[in-house]
Amino acid sequence: MGRQIVHRLLISFPALLGVLFLCFCLLQVVPADPAMIIAGPEAKAETIAAIRQELGLDRPIPVQFAEYIGRVLRGDLGRSIISNKMVSEELALTIGPTVELMLGGMLIAIPIGLTLGTLAAVRRGTIVDRIIMAFSVAGVSMPVFFIGLILIQYMGFKWGLFPFTGRTGPIWDGGLPSLVLPALTLGSVLIGPIARLTRTAVLEVLGADFVRTARAKGLRETAVIVHHALRNALIPVVTLIGLQAAFLLGGAVVTETMFSWPGVGRLAVGAIVSSDFPTAQGAIMILAIAFLSINLLVDILYVYLDPRVQRT
Amino acid sequence: MSVETVNVAAAASEETGLLSRAGVLRRLARDKIAAAAALALTLIVLSAVFAPLIAPYDPYLTDLTKVMQPPSAEHWFGTDNTGRDIFSRILYGTRNTLMLGLVGVVIGGFLGGVLGILAAYYRRADGWIMRLVDVMLAFPAILIGLAVAAIFGAGLTAVVIALVVATVPDVARVARGSAVGVMGQEFMEAGRAVGVSDGTLIWRYLTLNCISTIFVFLTLRFGQIILIGSALGFLGMGAQPPTAELGMMAAQGRDFLFMAPHIATIPSFAIFVIVLAANLLGDATRDVLDPRLQQ
Repeated sequence: MGRQIVHRLLISFPALLGVLFLCFCLLQVVPADPAMIIAGPEAKAETIAAIRQELGLDRPIPVQFAEYIGRVLRGDLGRSIISNKMVSEELALTIGPTVELMLGGMLIAIPIGLTLGTLAAVRRGTIVDRIIMAFSVAGVSMPVFFIGLILIQYMGFKWGLFPFTGRTGPIWDGGLPSLVLPALTLGSVLIGPIARLTRTAVLEVLGADFVRTARAKGLRETAVIVHHALRNALIPVVTLIGLQAAFLLGGAVVTETMFSWPGVGRLAVGAIVSSDFPTAQGAIMILAIAFLSINLLVDILYVYLDPRVQRT
Repeated sequence: MSVETVNVAAAASEETGLLSRAGVLRRLARDKIAAAAALALTLIVLSAVFAPLIAPYDPYLTDLTKVMQPPSAEHWFGTDNTGRDIFSRILYGTRNTLMLGLVGVVIGGFLGGVLGILAAYYRRADGWIMRLVDVMLAFPAILIGLAVAAIFGAGLTAVVIALVVATVPDVARVARGSAVGVMGQEFMEAGRAVGVSDGTLIWRYLTLNCISTIFVFLTLRFGQIILIGSALGFLGMGAQPPTAELGMMAAQGRDFLFMAPHIATIPSFAIFVIVLAANLLGDATRDVLDPRLQQ
């Protein structure tokens, strides 16, 4: 198992390097020359050249890239053009809320999705199955912001159940109510795909020999489904959740923007709108690295859940 | 001799889909939900294509005496915050939204298909191409959109690039998987043995046999691509005002949600209907073409 994980880590290395290179390019192709910005509009050519030399902008691209990686490893992502704060400091403030939102979304989506999918599989062909499947197709086709708009309009504004702008604080410090609507919005896009795949996976497993054996030895139906069918059906579902991580991150960006949630996605969008390149680049890099890490985590979980993978 | 092997390959490609499409359409028509979805999608596409003829008002004409009116006989979907007719804007917006999705899927599908098939054919390039695909997969589409918008500024180009990049890696994987299967077939070996050129082998033997798989995958992706495109529009990275695009229209309406909820919800609902129809049709096409599901 250890070897598997090391192998997987090695595979993700080129992808990480690619991500860093693209982020590096982001600053290279930006229309504005950082040296000219620092020097100001009336600076002489020699001053600009001196600043370029000082910043290392006159050196070959590979050298600059190596230096960039060095800076990223030291946590130096430059300064925000707008607030003049260190980008790393701004990012540090936003990562927590984004993680909170994504975990909240998954905590809502996974149990509901698994339950609905299993129910549909067990009651296959009945009206229950059809309703659940119709619901999940509709869920897959719904834009995240549509769900968010409806929740804001009704649960937030009309019925006044939960706050719908900003974050009042961490969950342990009275921040839970403000998390409800954003997490519900983000989670709802995941319920459909999870329910659909769980249904297929459980159906496949229900026909397997070991389920028949479990039934034959007189286990209760609930035990058969929960301990034997669902546990084995979890393998493709875990993979799906990993594959949906991209979707979830994208959804998080939209959800954060809608609910003024102070996360990485909102920071990125705001930075792009105000042409704050260092902040935009840092935020995009963090999001991409988060995505890579989620996929890595899912692959490791996969090895743990499916003993067959360990042997190959 | 080589003519004969070409014929075998062609016959195989006919079996896998190209010419059996009539059969597929017949089977699709028998599925009521698929038929309804196809009908809905056709109507949507037609109304988008003929938007200038159907639209009762100029989608860009503002009328400050009629701002934020709810749906009525005069304005079917009401008016927005500057008094523009929402129904007309939805027609034009659907045009832009569909066009974005189509361009993304067609260009992305082409590039991904070429990459996947070349990876399967030239084994030495396989590792490199697939690593490239892995790196592309490391960037969720929304992030690509944000990155492109950061560099070149927000606009339809940024969204198209994001949608293409979002489509390429998945299609490349599917095309490679399908092409690797075809590579193992006897007619490929026979073609090589009689000296058929690489170009002919790749196009007539390999590509024609993979194309239906790629096509089905693209129909399944179309809905997702539209969702991503409209999300980018919603974030303000896509079409810029006053251009009508459904995602952007929803975002503009968000500011007036409590006064006139229809400004934001109608464009959002329109996206939902388009994506739902595309998804239902994509699912049905897959069910018809995947023999395992028919059993």
